[in-house]
Amino acid sequence: MILQRIFALALLAVCAALAVMAWPYQAAFSYEPVGPRAYPLLMLGLMGLALLYLAFRPTPIVRGEDEPELDRETLNKIGLCVALLLVFAATFESLGFIISSILVGVPMARLYGGRWSSSALIVGLMSIALYVLFDRVMDVPLPLGLLDVVEN
Amino acid sequence: MDTLSYLGQGFGVALSPYNLVTALSGTLIGTVVGLLPGLGPINGVALLIPIAFALGLPPESALILLAAVYLGCEYGGRISSILLNIPGEASTVMTTLDGYPMARQGLAGVALSLSAWSSFIGAFIATCGMVLFAPLLAKWAIAFGPAEYFVLMVFAIVALGGMAGDKPLKTFIAALIGLFLSSVGIDANSGVYRFTGDSVHLADGIQFVVLVLGLFSISEILLLLEKTHHGHEAVKATGRMLFNLKEAASVFVVNIRCGLLGFIMGVLPGAGATLASAVAYMTEKRLAGASGKFGKGDARGLAAPETAIGASCCGALVPMLTLGVPGSGTTAVMIGALTLYNITPGPLLFEQQPDIVWGLIASLFIANIMLVILNIPMIRIFTRILAVPNWALVPVIAIITAIGVYAVHATTFDLFLMVGIGIMGYILRKLDFPLSPILLGFILGGLMEQNLRRALSISNGALDILWSSPISLAVWAVTALMLALPLIRIWRRRVLQRRALANV
Repeated sequence: MILQRIFALALLAVCAALAVMAWPYQAAFSYEPVGPRAYPLLMLGLMGLALLYLAFRPTPIVRGEDEPELDRETLNKIGLCVALLLVFAATFESLGFIISSILVGVPMARLYGGRWSSSALIVGLMSIALYVLFDRVMDVPLPLGLLDVVEN
Repeated sequence: MDTLSYLGQGFGVALSPYNLVTALSGTLIGTVVGLLPGLGPINGVALLIPIAFALGLPPESALILLAAVYLGCEYGGRISSILLNIPGEASTVMTTLDGYPMARQGLAGVALSLSAWSSFIGAFIATCGMVLFAPLLAKWAIAFGPAEYFVLMVFAIVALGGMAGDKPLKTFIAALIGLFLSSVGIDANSGVYRFTGDSVHLADGIQFVVLVLGLFSISEILLLLEKTHHGHEAVKATGRMLFNLKEAASVFVVNIRCGLLGFIMGVLPGAGATLASAVAYMTEKRLAGASGKFGKGDARGLAAPETAIGASCCGALVPMLTLGVPGSGTTAVMIGALTLYNITPGPLLFEQQPDIVWGLIASLFIANIMLVILNIPMIRIFTRILAVPNWALVPVIAIITAIGVYAVHATTFDLFLMVGIGIMGYILRKLDFPLSPILLGFILGGLMEQNLRRALSISNGALDILWSSPISLAVWAVTALMLALPLIRIWRRRVLQRRALANV
């Protein structure tokens, strides 16, 4: 309940900030009666009203039976997983697709309970296979990064 | 008669060897994607958009591929719910109720093939309905001006909340988030940069694929971390693989009834497969009365939700093709795909590009037949896929998701944005917000704003154009009814509670 209130108020603050951001949006010259700011302001306003209501009267959260309570350990895991995904995004171009997906994929497999050796094997093979499949067979360009040297 | 000749033309398109192969690979990919935990039709279709584009598929083949994947995903979800008792997604919850008991009784093969057959009949009924009604609706939709379109979209959004049942407020907030997000980027009418924070990457707006994959794939990856339990033993599919005539005949009436019901529910915006399957199951259970053994492996309890799902999936394509208004999360994704090809779905699509529309309708028939045929020899292989552990699966899903996002614009900014949206999606999910209204809002938002502005330009700023025509008045009336629906439901529940208290 309390989490929901905090969330509603936080999102409300974001809405307010966005509305302030939208206020100066005006077309230099215009042929139409409705400018570029009316629609976003309308949406933000409606969202604000709904969020206010939610903050005062939060609705109960229904939890599935296979969904355990969040404990510290799971939260740590989720934090780690997000960090890994960010590392993936950051190194995708500089290190190249194959290296960065192995770098991120192996610890991620560990996070979900795989053993080092089998994780390394599967992720390694899959990154190379996916690179060949997408870049070579299907013409979706993927960065080679550091491995550029090997190719030339 | 026109319709029939168009349909023939459509079969000509769909039966070309190239498109047949496309449909076959689509159904296979879809089945596998639907089987895997954490991937549903929305992710499956979204992941294939950039790939279909990169492969240079012509638009009709791309649409056939996406529709085949859609049907395949629904089918794949069924396998895990019947054999594992784990519904792959919300719509297949009802299938587990009687499907899993049937599998436990050694009728796994029968249950699977019967569900495929039911779904086929449902889809068949819905496709016939589509052939009959879609051109009529398209003809009628031409009378829609910007004001009517705006009202129709308001209706679509409100219907989402009204149908969603227990959490109308959260559905409404989610839809508003989507509606707002669609305004990010350069404004097409005035050239003003909105909410871009001076970033070049946002000038074009948030990419649809990035939003979908962030919301659904990334948040699902994070959600899978919580589910630590392992070792679900799949029921072995042995013995008879195909249902016999007697079994098919015993559910035939159920098939017809639920097919019609599912089609109607599919056409209505916001209702979708989840609600259709639930209503179908409940109705059949009530009709069967004491004679049924629902919940203990009654074939009718399996056939009812499956027929309804099959029918509503095809039914959802009707508003998408004729009005350009998506009825479900997956059809919203398909509209996103069409806009990549510069095709605007709507009434004119039937006149300008009949090949696409009728080719798609014909390929729905074909993809459904393929699914029934594929089912029998492939079941053993599909059940193996169910045994893939999460640790091997999740990194691969993450990598493929990143490829899909990177393929759109080839910038790492999109990858960061996807992770950000994924975290947001995870938080929203934990707080019990539904996610597909965000998608629908995002798709409808751009159209809604354009139509509102166009309407008000016509009237020179006077608001009464929004309720001046009979069409818009009628739609407003239905919208008001939808708004009242959750309130009525709450009121009725209260009355029932009070009565129960009084009896005690």
